[in-house]
Amino acid sequence: QEKEVQVAQTGAVEVETIEWKLVTSWPKNFPGLGMAPERFAKLVDEMSAGRLKIKVFGAGELMPAFEVFDAVSQGTVQMGHSAAYYWKGKTPAAQFFTSIPFGLNAQEMNGWLHYGGGLELWEEVYEPFGILPLAGGNTGVQMGGWFNKEINSMEDLKGLKMRLPGLGGEVLKRVGGVPVTLPGRELYTALQTGAIDATEWVGPFNDLAFGLHKAAKFYYYPGWHEPGTTLEFLMNKEAFAALPADLQSIVTIAARAINQDMLDEYTSKHIIALDSLIDEHGVILKQYPDEVMKKLAEVSKVVIKEQSAKDDTMTKVYKAYMEYEAGVRKYHKISEDAYSRLRE
Amino acid sequence: MAILLFLVVCLVLMLGYPVALTLAGVALMFAGIGELTGTFDSSLLGALPNRLYGVINNPILMAVPLFVFMGVVLEKSKVAEQLLTSMAELFGRFRGGLIFSVFFVGMLLAASTGIVGATVVTMGLMSLPSLLKRGYDPAFSAGAICATGTLGQIIPPSIALVLLGDVLSNAYQQAQLKMGIFSPKSVSVGDLFAGALIPGLLLLVMYCLYTLILIKRKPEQFPAVLDKRSIDLSFVMQTISALVPPLLLIFLVLGSILLGIATPTEAASVGAFGALMIALVKRQMTLPLLKEVMLSTTKITSMVFLILIGASIFSLVFRGFGGEVLIHDLFHNMPGGLIGATLLVMLVIFLLGFILDFIEITFVVVPLVAPILLAMGLDPIWLGIMIAVNLQTSFLTPPFGFALFYLRGVSKELVSSSQIYKGVIPFVGIQLLLMLILSIWPELITWLPSQIYG
Amino acid sequence: MNRVEKLTEFIGKGVSWFTLFIVLMTLAVVVLRYAFSTGATAIQEGALYLHGAVLTLAAGYTLKHDGHVRVDIFYRHFSSRGQHWVDLLGTLFLLFPVCIFITYSCFDYVLASWRYAETSVEAGGLEYVYLQKSLLLLLVVSLLLQGCVELVRHASALFANKREESEETGEQG
Ligand code: NA
Ligand code: NA
Repeated sequence: QEKEVQVAQTGAVEVETIEWKLVTSWPKNFPGLGMAPERFAKLVDEMSAGRLKIKVFGAGELMPAFEVFDAVSQGTVQMGHSAAYYWKGKTPAAQFFTSIPFGLNAQEMNGWLHYGGGLELWEEVYEPFGILPLAGGNTGVQMGGWFNKEINSMEDLKGLKMRLPGLGGEVLKRVGGVPVTLPGRELYTALQTGAIDATEWVGPFNDLAFGLHKAAKFYYYPGWHEPGTTLEFLMNKEAFAALPADLQSIVTIAARAINQDMLDEYTSKHIIALDSLIDEHGVILKQYPDEVMKKLAEVSKVVIKEQSAKDDTMTKVYKAYMEYEAGVRKYHKISEDAYSRLRE
Repeated sequence: MAILLFLVVCLVLMLGYPVALTLAGVALMFAGIGELTGTFDSSLLGALPNRLYGVINNPILMAVPLFVFMGVVLEKSKVAEQLLTSMAELFGRFRGGLIFSVFFVGMLLAASTGIVGATVVTMGLMSLPSLLKRGYDPAFSAGAICATGTLGQIIPPSIALVLLGDVLSNAYQQAQLKMGIFSPKSVSVGDLFAGALIPGLLLLVMYCLYTLILIKRKPEQFPAVLDKRSIDLSFVMQTISALVPPLLLIFLVLGSILLGIATPTEAASVGAFGALMIALVKRQMTLPLLKEVMLSTTKITSMVFLILIGASIFSLVFRGFGGEVLIHDLFHNMPGGLIGATLLVMLVIFLLGFILDFIEITFVVVPLVAPILLAMGLDPIWLGIMIAVNLQTSFLTPPFGFALFYLRGVSKELVSSSQIYKGVIPFVGIQLLLMLILSIWPELITWLPSQIYG
Repeated sequence: MNRVEKLTEFIGKGVSWFTLFIVLMTLAVVVLRYAFSTGATAIQEGALYLHGAVLTLAAGYTLKHDGHVRVDIFYRHFSSRGQHWVDLLGTLFLLFPVCIFITYSCFDYVLASWRYAETSVEAGGLEYVYLQKSLLLLLVVSLLLQGCVELVRHASALFANKREESEETGEQG
């Protein structure tokens, strides 16, 4: 009924309604990550006065979580919401567009992508797959993870069984740890029974919802392995090209708004969730020792350089990323970082 | 159209062509007709490769061949039969000693795996031949095995509970955020595991009570073990050698999970390998027998997964015809009041359980209804366990319960479909009774989690 | 047809060894992690590939041995002719269309994976995801091969001369 009224209000001209499907890698209603595509769809609907309707499917609803990329690439669906590092097996350079160990933080990622040439590179990386990427949110610096063992020195990392996917896992392996590959569904049980000693997840907001505090004692910070996790909107290139110019703008701008919105939400919700974890659930918050962070940063540099050398596209992205990183680090030393130190 | 599809599938299934291909074939035929008449969203079918790859690439489902392997080894090497016989001899003076042994072993097995297909098949392989050999009623035996086999779904660990935990925890967050609670409480897989324990054991007790009543009324159907032997040294030795290894094996599987040595999926390989070792030590494993075991495992695994693939194609087409919109509308017009709404949800889930597997129901139906029910103030743990028991009942209900298909698949010449149907009905009744009990006394579910996690 | 049946049998027996390998490999992963503190993602993924191979490649073998479960409350009471009719029509109108559709729908998906030589996402994982995805098409091959055999078998049982039919019993396979 509401739709009919809308059509009537737009006047006598018949308005064509376009329907899109958007699949995500998150369960329906997943706090933060999963809400972004829902809000995006609502925003596009409102901005386009109902001309572009986007139906959002949670992970497992239409297809499993990690089929998003293929489905967008094949044109099965027009859009996806996910994270680029899941597509490492298709194109290893994708990892740079989510987060890499000791890499850019949220603010810096947004700078690089939107004013530092990052997005153009990202488009180039996805070009062979017929996909257009857009930044789709950020979690901020993640947490180091949930541990049932204390980490006081590098020695404690030896033999540490931790679920830590991607580049972070590779780094852990180099220093004698055991990155364990585990389906997400067995994560909780594995941590509780001790089949693994530790796991990373996202940050307080999601971790509290998942209930990881019931399976582990120590909550370590910071998330060196994912300092500025960027999410992504994926669009099928042909589908996007077929949109009228105003709808193209609407989609792009709505994505940009949601990209910021997620970071804003995480920033606020993390605060409350962390308080709740510590005050109500007795979680012990711990900082990684400096010695450990220093060593991991060193190893990370080596690992990322090595991996990047294996693939031409990745080499190209690596160079651009590192160049931006050096620049922004230098500037942030006297701006953001200097100010942060002041507040302590 | 979605309803017509459902009805036609039921009819064609009755003709007796393999279930998996019937589900997929009829669905695709409908998709074709729908495409021609423009009533079908055919773009959804594009998701088929993604879904099929999801089936063959799911590491958790690898527990199926592993557990089936263990079951087949224990069956073919006669270790299972010796175990059950010895247990029955121990309780020889009681009528029905064997069936209680089956319940006991089934409980242990349920505690060591979370995949219903795996437990039903393993129980069927291990215990059905023994029961029939001892003169138990085939219908009752089949019913008892199906019912015990589906226990794997609620006695932890359970894949169904893990998936439900995932979905419910998100729904719970959403419900609380909508109510303006910004420091929301959480519900985790651990909560559901703890909540399921008492209902699971209670269910087992109810099975036993029912069996006791039957024994009183029809003692001739529950023969005591025929050759009652005096208890001498050789009897003791024989009993120990039959009893200890397989029980040790199941405790090994369970222990490897609880002690954090293996994940539940991996623990299945500990069981399979252990079974092989027991058979070898008992000199009941030869190369030809091993080949038989492997072939049998292969056939059963292929059977189970083709059903999963068929069901996956079916539910995709069901969606394409607006089946999901149908469900959505149904819940949108939900009767007022918590009790009415909950009853409706339970009824729909029960009916859907006939045609969709729990993965579909968990991902499609639960996210639709859970936030609404939770916002009405329902306890998330209670809801999760009720859904799990409900689905378990649905999988057990003739003529299309998945558990029945699985048992039928491994018991070719032993029992007929109609015997399975007949035998399982009382157990369906018991499960419905359990759901009633859990509704009257929800503390049976919520007490343990609150004790453990505060 | 005889050759096709032999091939189905050969494939079934071949992949049946994989079930043993799956057991041993998964156990190895546990032992390596628990006793030797070593991750073994490659072995884990290898077992998963083999698992996929069992359930796809053996579909035809299972069909040959009538291992795919039926709702046989009525079927078992049908005459032998009736059963042949169900199986003949089922093969023609259920099995074949399903196979054709899976091929049509999965072909591009598998091809794309080959084109970019898809590898594992996990550190230390296997580099042959495209082979694993190809199993979807092999499922079809396996079912189609045996489906043809079934078609000929049931058709000839129905349409060959009637004398042979009287020798048949209700049991099969
Ligand atoms: Na993370
Ligand atoms: Na279980």
